[in-house]
Amino acid sequence: MAAFKPDEKRRTFERLGNVREIVFGIQDGVLTTAGVLAGLSGAVSGRSQVILAALASTAAGALSMGAGAYLGTRAETQVLRNQLEQARRESERQPYIVQEELLAALAKEGLAREAGYRVVKLLSRAPDALFSTAEQKLYGLSDSTLGNPMMDGLLMGVAFLVGALVPLLPFVMIASVRGGLIAGIATTAIALFAVGYVFEGILAGERSPIAAGLRFLAIALGAAAIGYLVGLVISPIGAGSAG
Amino acid sequence: MLKPGDPAPPFDLPCAFDGKLSHLSLDGIRSEMVVLFFYPRDFSFICPTEVIGFHKAQPAFKTEHTSIVGVSADDAESHRRWAAELGGVSYPLLADAGGRLAQAYGVFDEKEQVAMRATFVLDRARTVAYCVASPINVGRSVSETLRIVRAIRSGRLCPADWEPGAEFGPADHKF
Repeated sequence: MAAFKPDEKRRTFERLGNVREIVFGIQDGVLTTAGVLAGLSGAVSGRSQVILAALASTAAGALSMGAGAYLGTRAETQVLRNQLEQARRESERQPYIVQEELLAALAKEGLAREAGYRVVKLLSRAPDALFSTAEQKLYGLSDSTLGNPMMDGLLMGVAFLVGALVPLLPFVMIASVRGGLIAGIATTAIALFAVGYVFEGILAGERSPIAAGLRFLAIALGAAAIGYLVGLVISPIGAGSAG
Repeated sequence: MLKPGDPAPPFDLPCAFDGKLSHLSLDGIRSEMVVLFFYPRDFSFICPTEVIGFHKAQPAFKTEHTSIVGVSADDAESHRRWAAELGGVSYPLLADAGGRLAQAYGVFDEKEQVAMRATFVLDRARTVAYCVASPINVGRSVSETLRIVRAIRSGRLCPADWEPGAEFGPADHKF
């Protein structure tokens, strides 16, 4: 039987904490680029113009998504850190409140009150241990809850870039616009299915990874299809006002 | 909650005292006055400051012919272990299972199913001479309870913040 290694497990949890950025980035990169390719293929006659526009869109999207993830995580981290520091100061002023609350939390999780009392009393010998445990138990916050803005931004940007290459590469490699577009849409569908299969199916431990992949594909394509339909509905309004 | 002048509801309950399990009734207490203090729970982090505070002040209360009795909804065995955890408690801790005594005194917190942090000073006739309740997160002042006992036992008009040795109010004034 393989030995349980908490350190490795912790690193795994930290890595998995970035699943949101990876999935979001890939999905957005795939769909945005497929949308640009599909939209411009009908509107622009030159294949190279479509490719250039898609490349520009990919670069702008990757940078924008990366920067957005960085700024979002940074703001969230700063707000949470500030709240944690305030809570820590209050805890230091009134440690017995924290002790009582922690005791109640442990009792709620099934520990006998007397045993919980001894645990909290032992933790109280090292205030840092008491407060960090209280922060995890009472507020659901810990150092690992606080994101890494740089890592989140980088992962989001790279994931978008990787996602964008999925429809773009076949379009570049196949000489015919129509053929490239069909291949791009096919790889887009495969990639979306694969993301759902791997992240929501395999990594999430779902019983049927195939169902997870199909669900992911349906949601992603469904959202894109609804967007396309909304565009069709409002396009006459734009045409009317242009005149 | 009972108020001064109300008869104190009697009790006959299991208790922990001097490291042993026993029984205690209000009728069985022979001292002139009784301080009955309710607290929420054994094995907590605010209650011990009061339990220990009353323990340390017990000789002073004894000098005033006053017994101290602690009460919570924990059982007597829990009280015994709790007292041992605190290094010994020199007065009985009553086991008020289900909080019936706390209900009789009007100091039972139905939501938390624990006694409020309430203190009653009972006089020789076992009527309530003084009562006070604190928020559940705020510990009581043991020295204030002792001051109240001394003031009541003086039988005189005691002005605000009166302490033993200080001037009494006019002997012919009732209030």
